[in-house]
Amino acid sequence: MIAHVVWRLWRRAASNLLRAPLLSLVSVLTIGFALFIGTAFVLGLFTARTLLASWGADATLTLYLDPATTDSQARSVYQQASARGDVVVQYVDPGTALQRLRADLGEMGSALEGLSKNPLPPSLEIRPKQSLAAPAMRVLAAELGQLPNVRDVEYGREWVDKLEALGGGMRVFGAGALLAVLLAALLVVANTIRLAVYARRDEIEIMKLVGATDSYVRAPFLMEGALQGLLGASVAVGSVFAVQHWLLPRLEQAFAFAAGVAPPQMLPVHAAALLAFGAIVGLLGSWLAVGRFLKA
Amino acid sequence: MIQLYHVKKKYPGDPPVLDDITLRIDKGEFVWLTGPSGAGKSTLLRLLFCAEQPSSGQILIGGRNVGRIHRSAIPQLRRNIGVVFQDFKLLENRTVLDNVGYALEVLGASDAEIRLRARKRLDQVGLAHKATSLPRRLSGGEQQRVAIARALVNEPTILLADEPTGNLDPSLTDSTLQLLFDANARGTTVVVATHDRGLLQRWHRRTVGLERGKLVFDA
Repeated sequence: MIAHVVWRLWRRAASNLLRAPLLSLVSVLTIGFALFIGTAFVLGLFTARTLLASWGADATLTLYLDPATTDSQARSVYQQASARGDVVVQYVDPGTALQRLRADLGEMGSALEGLSKNPLPPSLEIRPKQSLAAPAMRVLAAELGQLPNVRDVEYGREWVDKLEALGGGMRVFGAGALLAVLLAALLVVANTIRLAVYARRDEIEIMKLVGATDSYVRAPFLMEGALQGLLGASVAVGSVFAVQHWLLPRLEQAFAFAAGVAPPQMLPVHAAALLAFGAIVGLLGSWLAVGRFLKA
Repeated sequence: MIQLYHVKKKYPGDPPVLDDITLRIDKGEFVWLTGPSGAGKSTLLRLLFCAEQPSSGQILIGGRNVGRIHRSAIPQLRRNIGVVFQDFKLLENRTVLDNVGYALEVLGASDAEIRLRARKRLDQVGLAHKATSLPRRLSGGEQQRVAIARALVNEPTILLADEPTGNLDPSLTDSTLQLLFDANARGTTVVVATHDRGLLQRWHRRTVGLERGKLVFDA
């Protein structure tokens, strides 16, 4: 008995959906748009985090040694740093440092000709073997700063701190924006179903008159909401796939700064999760709308 | 079958709509509930099918105190009570057959069973040939017969009718009421609210009179 009743309720939900096609279409498209924005935002967030991590991975530390450090002392510091095993160390003697500076200055490099002696200290360029988050970078810098003859440690502290703050801000903003999108989708479904409930109040009155339980009255509306959510999510999934396969490849030039960072792809499992999410949002929205009506 | 003890219904700020009503209707009876407009007839019927709760007093339907049953038990009670209204209350976008079968859907009947039983009821009220029509294509008398068929399709033990002939031409009144008498003859307890004294004179049955919410006669 249950199976044919459930099947009948699904049929009713589908026919109710088709009975007000314009209203249903607007609702489905609005849910689709909200979920598309939400999904695009999440994917964008992941891409941005990957990008930030890749920039963080490029971060190197420079240990500036005391100018009076002898070559053998510098070699000793080099060996101690290398012995850690988690970093790649390159020794830059003052002569090499001056050559690099001259090359960096280009035509203005001739200004260096007037120097009576090389003012640049010997240094060690240190690159972590694995990309490090900002706090780990700080610890590494502090540890390397303890080595003998090290006068200063430079690792772009401000840049690392900014990246860290940016990542944290994106997480907070992302969570807030996702919540807003979820609420918007929920309200869209709730309002659409509320209109549908209001339009069919006579039908509900008759259903209750002939002995329908609240659950029986509620069921087709919940199913209708779930269908709307599911269809809306399908629109969102289709739009994301379309953007990934058609639009993004044509915008590679615009995102040249992010070269080498592949945007996260929406996998079938993500699409399935989004569809389920859409159906649940639709269901919840309907529950809100019908629950209020039945209580009234 | 139906027992009311000192039933009172009052809305805040207004005088009582029903005041100290004590009444007993036995199984298989046919009762006219009469009185002028505003006497409380419709309110009394609404209390009987649990659309409202009494302010005080007790109402027993088939031995169950409807003033004390949980909200979730009301549907079960209503499946045993058929209700007919003056304005028919048919679903305009459903066929006549669907309207009649609606009462069976909530019972969980199969599609085949619904069709079979709804057609049988439509046949009894003489509208089998209109099964696929929409209600708006039917005359007022036909629509009321569809409403009666819906009220009777799950064979309730009680049938309540609120001014069932109020919107009908006099020529259709007798044939419509005959359907209620037929149901009563099959054992259904029938309570019909009407302000039409002509009906009471033509069809002699037990008559309960209300006036300003009070029971003024029971004959």
